[in-house]
Amino acid sequence: MQISTVQPVFKLELNHKVTPSVVTIAKYDGTHPCLTAAAGYDKIIIHHPHGGVGTGRAQRSQAHGEVSELNLSQAIIALACGPLKPDTNRDMLLIGSPTQILAYDVHDNTDLFFKEAPDGVNVIIAGSFGKYTETLAIIGGNSSVQAIDWEGNEVFWNVISGKVCAIITFDFDKDGENELLIGSDDSFIRVLKNNQFIAEISETGPILCLSPVNEVRFAYGLANGTIGIYEEGIRLWRVKSKQNTLALQWSGDTLACCWSNGRVDWREGTTGRVLRRIQMRANAAAMLLADYRSVGAPDLVCVSDKGEVLGYPPYQEQAGFNSVSKNLSSEEDRQVITELFNKKQALMVELQHYEANANAASGHVSLDSIDRPATAMPTNTRLQMAIVHSEDEGCLQLAISTNNETIVRAALVLAEGIFENGETFARHPRPSQLRSLLHVPLRPPRDVPVDVHIKALIGYPDSEQFHIFELTKQLPRFSMYRLLSKEVRNRGNSYVTFRITERVQRICIWVNQNFLLEEELDIETEETKELHISLLCLRDQSYLYMDFGADGQVRFSTHDIRLAGDLIQSLAVYLNLSELQVILILFSSA
Amino acid sequence: MDYDLARIDYTVCGITYPDTLKIMSPFGQKVDQKFAIGDKNGVLQCLSIKDEEPVVQFKTLPGKPITSVQLATTVGQQADKIFTASGNEVKGYTRKGKVFLCIETALTETITSMCIMGNDLILCSGRTVTFYRDLREYNSYVCEDRVLDIAAFASTRIRLLVLVANKGAVLLENGKLIARTVISSGPSRLSVPPSTHVTDIVAFYGASDGSLGLIAYEELNLSSKCLVDGRDLGSVVCLGWYYNNGNFHLSVGRHDGSIQLYLIDMDNLGEKPRLKYTYFCGEPVTSVAGGCVSTEESELLVATFSGRIFALRASHLVSGVKVPQDILAARRAKLEGEVARLEKQTANEREKYQQHTRSLHAGLSTPPLLDVQHELLGAGSDGWQEVRMTSAVPLDMLFIYCNQKLQMQTDTAAVLTICSSKETGSDMLASVRCQAGTRRVWVKMRYTSDTSITSRLEGKRVLIYVLPAGAPRVARLLSLQLPALPYYSKHESEKDMGSYERTWSELQVSGSYSVAEITSWLTEALPGELPRPASEVSFVRLHTLLGTLLICEYQRGLATFKSDNISTIATLRNIVSNCSVEKNISVDITFDIPEDCCVKSFKNIENKFKIEYQKNKDLILKNAISMLDLDSSMSEEGPVLCQEYARVWDSKDNINENQFNDLVEMVVQWYLDWRTLSLHNDNYGNESTKLQAALKDCRLDDVLKILSNKSS
Repeated sequence: MQISTVQPVFKLELNHKVTPSVVTIAKYDGTHPCLTAAAGYDKIIIHHPHGGVGTGRAQRSQAHGEVSELNLSQAIIALACGPLKPDTNRDMLLIGSPTQILAYDVHDNTDLFFKEAPDGVNVIIAGSFGKYTETLAIIGGNSSVQAIDWEGNEVFWNVISGKVCAIITFDFDKDGENELLIGSDDSFIRVLKNNQFIAEISETGPILCLSPVNEVRFAYGLANGTIGIYEEGIRLWRVKSKQNTLALQWSGDTLACCWSNGRVDWREGTTGRVLRRIQMRANAAAMLLADYRSVGAPDLVCVSDKGEVLGYPPYQEQAGFNSVSKNLSSEEDRQVITELFNKKQALMVELQHYEANANAASGHVSLDSIDRPATAMPTNTRLQMAIVHSEDEGCLQLAISTNNETIVRAALVLAEGIFENGETFARHPRPSQLRSLLHVPLRPPRDVPVDVHIKALIGYPDSEQFHIFELTKQLPRFSMYRLLSKEVRNRGNSYVTFRITERVQRICIWVNQNFLLEEELDIETEETKELHISLLCLRDQSYLYMDFGADGQVRFSTHDIRLAGDLIQSLAVYLNLSELQVILILFSSA
Repeated sequence: MDYDLARIDYTVCGITYPDTLKIMSPFGQKVDQKFAIGDKNGVLQCLSIKDEEPVVQFKTLPGKPITSVQLATTVGQQADKIFTASGNEVKGYTRKGKVFLCIETALTETITSMCIMGNDLILCSGRTVTFYRDLREYNSYVCEDRVLDIAAFASTRIRLLVLVANKGAVLLENGKLIARTVISSGPSRLSVPPSTHVTDIVAFYGASDGSLGLIAYEELNLSSKCLVDGRDLGSVVCLGWYYNNGNFHLSVGRHDGSIQLYLIDMDNLGEKPRLKYTYFCGEPVTSVAGGCVSTEESELLVATFSGRIFALRASHLVSGVKVPQDILAARRAKLEGEVARLEKQTANEREKYQQHTRSLHAGLSTPPLLDVQHELLGAGSDGWQEVRMTSAVPLDMLFIYCNQKLQMQTDTAAVLTICSSKETGSDMLASVRCQAGTRRVWVKMRYTSDTSITSRLEGKRVLIYVLPAGAPRVARLLSLQLPALPYYSKHESEKDMGSYERTWSELQVSGSYSVAEITSWLTEALPGELPRPASEVSFVRLHTLLGTLLICEYQRGLATFKSDNISTIATLRNIVSNCSVEKNISVDITFDIPEDCCVKSFKNIENKFKIEYQKNKDLILKNAISMLDLDSSMSEEGPVLCQEYARVWDSKDNINENQFNDLVEMVVQWYLDWRTLSLHNDNYGNESTKLQAALKDCRLDDVLKILSNKSS
């Protein structure tokens, strides 16, 4: 798609460099928005086109008349703003440095509070959630999230597994109260409601940005270039790009996405289709929604790292394209005709392919290798695939094989999050090792379900053209655990134990769904009340025992506390349990 | 006039070769012009356009691929005969589609271009230009390399202007060469301006580097002049003329999918053409021609590689009420119906095909080869070798394998991933995922410093599997040979080598091999196409970075290679001996290495070396400055720096790439090769480290001392 020629409705230069992602727009006097950004290591610039900020600490910038500079003696990591003070609607500026948070009233030139943040500061937002009605400063640290009220009191604190990269307040469960949506670098989006995680969405890369769309939808962007929209916890769509997303904003019924290279595109909310696209002259630093022109509706404000600011109004389709004039209609006809020719061309190529097959079939081409054409393959070739545990190599072996003498020339395995570098793993055996069977090792590093797409090139060793076979396989969540047939008991392990009231048959279904078993687990008789399973972890050759007792007592024995947690989480979701009391017994392995 | 042109699609045909669409001159009173298009399926169609709808005048049955289409141009007569060339056959059609001529020539190679003038027929195939008069071979001329295009000029005598690959242009008369000129940009296509004086011999050329120029024959002298620089434009595939509002425009179709119109001053052809219009169609353009095909006003007719035929017509004509709405709607409906029918048919065939895959009787599926054209270009001064691929169907991804590690780059529209592979660490596997609708993609490859050592023994084979996005689900395998001496991609004429004083190292290979055999050995070493085997072959190549020369002269059983770059000689020796052993041919290899070859050659590159050294220094400095995170108050002047630093800082990005390290490596390699070849084989490890250090610090006196072996 070509770059759109749409022009910004306003444009200004800050004449300062802008640190990407450390930008906010605040109404320090309660009415006029001021773009505020980090410019360099310890400097904040405030753009105030509607009249100056009072004197005080902010100094008028040499480089730009409408910009004030504010110098801090510490690096600026994050900026946010919000009407924290209860008696006024003026925005307070929240400044995050590596270990401290400063709330500053720009209008009155007073410090609201100054607080140490021992867990570090990665992201700050201002908002309210849960039972807190006042606006709080919510701070995401390296392994925690905390909320501070306007006097600097900590009102909320919780631990997060992973560095917090993005937070929004969002009513996830539609009960009229906001929850905290937290995206972290361990590739999870978590929903925190009153000190409880009520949902956990596994993604394929560190979450860089989150943005609310409407009551039920939110958008997300990952460090691997993926963006998408979730609706009620279900992903509507996602697309992937080479670039990283910097910001996502919902503007005029479209999702505006700002990429780090300065490209901004507007996408349809339900499909992700690009509607238009612009390119800034420099790399992007931020994209925010603000009524910067004071027209009553927020514009999209795009800021480049060189300090250029562009404003775009909400996306509007060129209305009534068909009905306006006859000429335009004929134009559309022509475009459709061009499209139809595209289609026709593709179909004709496909048809030619089949026709050539029919010709070959009637021509009785022999299967002997001497006069076999360079593109030939038996028509009834099929590809089979199996996944087996390989204990020796500590991995899963994906076996791809054909049903005849054709060989697997190459295989490409596409899966997210299970290969060390990137999403593709390839095998291309040497000529001497070409077989009709090919093994591909898989090592999912964490216990999440993975979709594995395989493209295999099938043909003869001397072929010039190979047939592409495509297969998709879903690996269950706990695929790296192999079922042991005989009891290997070494009960010195740490374990978790809890009680559930569920028939063992249902547990059995859960095991079949979530583990990779050679044969489905089956309960011999209706009377069976107990289930004991021994598994071997292929990653570290440790054992996992799951005992479901007749009295409802469940015991998972493993040295891996994370695994135990994952198992409980998975089982609880499956059994629809909202609360579960668990006892954890830990033995030091030393 | 405005250059606001809009696209109107007419029809599709098979894959087309360059310049196979021709617009015929108007017939009788009618203004409307017809056009003829020949495709790879061998179908020649003659079409006229009525209300944007193509009307088939005639259409031939499929046959051998049509590689050239020409209209007869007899002086004073209208061009109403169509000639097609396929393989070694030429056919002539009347405007009604009647075959009035069909000859099979004795040519062994495919006819790539031709001219028809009255009773004279000129055919080009391979390296040969053959002149037929009254269908009898009259004379022929064998050029030094492939003939790319030809233009005939008839005044009193017929003179032929011929573009020869890697050489430039020659002017032939009566089977004799009367003039020649060397054009280094690699011209690929000729176009004679319309309505020039019959006696003038002048033609525009388009080159593979994207540039445009003019070739003229004046006062017994053939000369060429570059008018438009190539810059980043794609290589020129076709040229045509577009006449509008009293102005002549040279229309240019390029491999990157762009179509451009240049305004030409017909009174002064040597003026720089002015670019007026660019359209981007997304796939290689194979023909552009202007004419009044469907309206009284002229439009530009375009054919693409995959067989799309469309017009670019002035917008005011497009949006005007020339074509009634209902006709357009009817056309759309008709096409929709056709696509629906095709969809159904395809679905049926697909079903049948899938049934086959389930049947027990193993038939044989032999899908036709995917139409993928590819081309491996020799390295420029940065050492990158580019592979360009063009496909008739949209591509999904490429899968690239090499048994050596290579550095790779690709299009911005594609994502390159170096895949992890379980096998031994030396393999390289990469995938390139393309954006939707990609039909052309390039990949650049470069030897890494550790592979360049092994690549000195043999060329590297790279396998590229091309996976299309849609049906048919087959992957085409392209196998490429990366040459061992990729830098020798520039052709040099044998005459003008004298600008430097050079000392020649010489390699002589004698043995019982044929010219064809040594040619195939040389393909392991040298990029680009080699001259076709002949009884005696000689050519000169230029190193794109160092500017050193390689002179190859060979005949049956004896080959002489001369170069002022000793590493080149060493590499050639390795390759020739490797290949001859493989082929079981015993050869005698002798070489003559002058004592001062390294010193003399280094003196020739000394200036370049100094410049690169400075660039490299600047780069290091610039990186350091940018790491300082200077106070970013971007006042007008930027950061306050001393003069020297400010110069480096302001030098923008053009120093980001430099070849200093490559140069150092090459010079060290010279020394090592010289030590080995000239049998100064005593302990020299120490010296080479010293040399490397001296080069890195640009201590040129020390370098020269070591190279001349005087330091010890």
